Amino acid sequence: MRLTRAVRLQVFWRSLFLQAGFNPTGMQSLGLTYALLPALKALYPEPRAHSEAVRRHLSTFNTHPYVAAAIVGGVLWHEERIARGEELPAVVEHYKSSLQGPLAALGDGFFWLSLRPAVGALCAATAPLLGVWAALLLLVLYNTVHFWARARFFTLGYRSGPDLVGSLARLRIPRWGERLRAVAAAFAGGLTAWLAVAFGANQDGVGAPLLAGGCLSVAVGAWAISGRAWSPLIMLYCAAALAIAAGSWL
Amino acid sequence: MLSFSWWHILVAGIWGGLLSLERRAFLQAMFSRPLVAATFAGVLLGDAHAGVYVGLVFELFYLGGASLGGAHADHETLPAVAGAAFAASLADASDGPSTAAMWSLGILMAAPLGPLGRVIENALDRRAARYLGAALSSADLGNFKRVSRQNLWAMWPHLVVFGAITSAFTWLAWGLSGLEQHLPLQLARGLAWAFPAMASVAAAMAVRGSRSRRAVRWAGAAAALTIAASAVMSLTGAHP
Repeated sequence: MRLTRAVRLQVFWRSLFLQAGFNPTGMQSLGLTYALLPALKALYPEPRAHSEAVRRHLSTFNTHPYVAAAIVGGVLWHEERIARGEELPAVVEHYKSSLQGPLAALGDGFFWLSLRPAVGALCAATAPLLGVWAALLLLVLYNTVHFWARARFFTLGYRSGPDLVGSLARLRIPRWGERLRAVAAAFAGGLTAWLAVAFGANQDGVGAPLLAGGCLSVAVGAWAISGRAWSPLIMLYCAAALAIAAGSWL
Repeated sequence: MLSFSWWHILVAGIWGGLLSLERRAFLQAMFSRPLVAATFAGVLLGDAHAGVYVGLVFELFYLGGASLGGAHADHETLPAVAGAAFAASLADASDGPSTAAMWSLGILMAAPLGPLGRVIENALDRRAARYLGAALSSADLGNFKRVSRQNLWAMWPHLVVFGAITSAFTWLAWGLSGLEQHLPLQLARGLAWAFPAMASVAAAMAVRGSRSRRAVRWAGAAAALTIAASAVMSLTGAHP
């Protein structure tokens, strides 16, 4: 028995709701089950087998929400085999539990800690020039990669089955990480200098170099103490207090 | 310039609630990132400029934040939308475009909502465990439609709670919208200075949050290049 394209598309659409019912007990299990329900309904017409299939996916599951598409695709591959009697149900549980950790690390490292900071810093840096268009640029740049990756992961998971790790390795995702993190750092640094110079240039007399130099010093100081026990929020308020005092009395 | 009304409070609440869903429950396509969320909040409330600049600071401030494993980071969407709404309401009261002092006030007032949002999100997650319990019992009874609905029902509290907080904050901003006009001129000037100072702290957080092995080198090189370019522009008569 094979799942139809319509059912697979329905599962993919529902996988976008993976974290809707996130909770500390089952984490994403409710979302995973929600995604798989149309497939399980098609594969298990007999109520008892259907109920068992649903229950086995309600056990704790947690991974990166984008890369989860690969596991969802792989689960479909395994469930088809289980429904045909070619595989034991324990195999799909082992498949999920062995992949969720490594794929979470892959997704967190690339999407949350590399791509998102890079695109965010780039668009923040261009916001003074582009205005509203910077927000649209962020959506386009990020989601071109995001939606391509989700669809590709789902297809890879469904087609590769147990060979998913090898298929993902061939995409060589981690090699982009350090480059993207460097992009984030460079744009954040450039924007700091631009804001200091631009706002300084709007001041008269001694205010201009004072504001520009002060902002650059605040940035360097904040960077230096940010790795220690200082809360970023406290640093934000301290910098504001300092600037309000300087701007009011100088 | 639009005049603030209950309609704007409702719009801000709906926008804040929907983005909180997008951030966690559905899609995660970055509509809830501060730059996007605040910019469109600014557009909806009649001052896109306020949204862009408030969003820019919060974008940098929360650049390195991420919910990893089961641990949540601060809620970056809530302060971004609330801060933009605050600055837009001040601009509305002044009957002109928003200023750096208004952006600063918006950021200063809304920044504590980030950690508050994280606390609320953790509480809502704990509450969501009941939906899992209901799904398990429904699966045993063979009621698969009810299993399916549990995942969707868990989204409602996020929509309602974060939407209500955004609305309440916008209402507060509306009430305080005359504030900026009554500030002494010197303090208003100080607040205008506070904006680039806070942006500098946020950018430092972004450099740290980039987690690049050579973050300082890259950030320093880009800053030096920007200053050099600005100096050249200044010497040639162009304003940086």
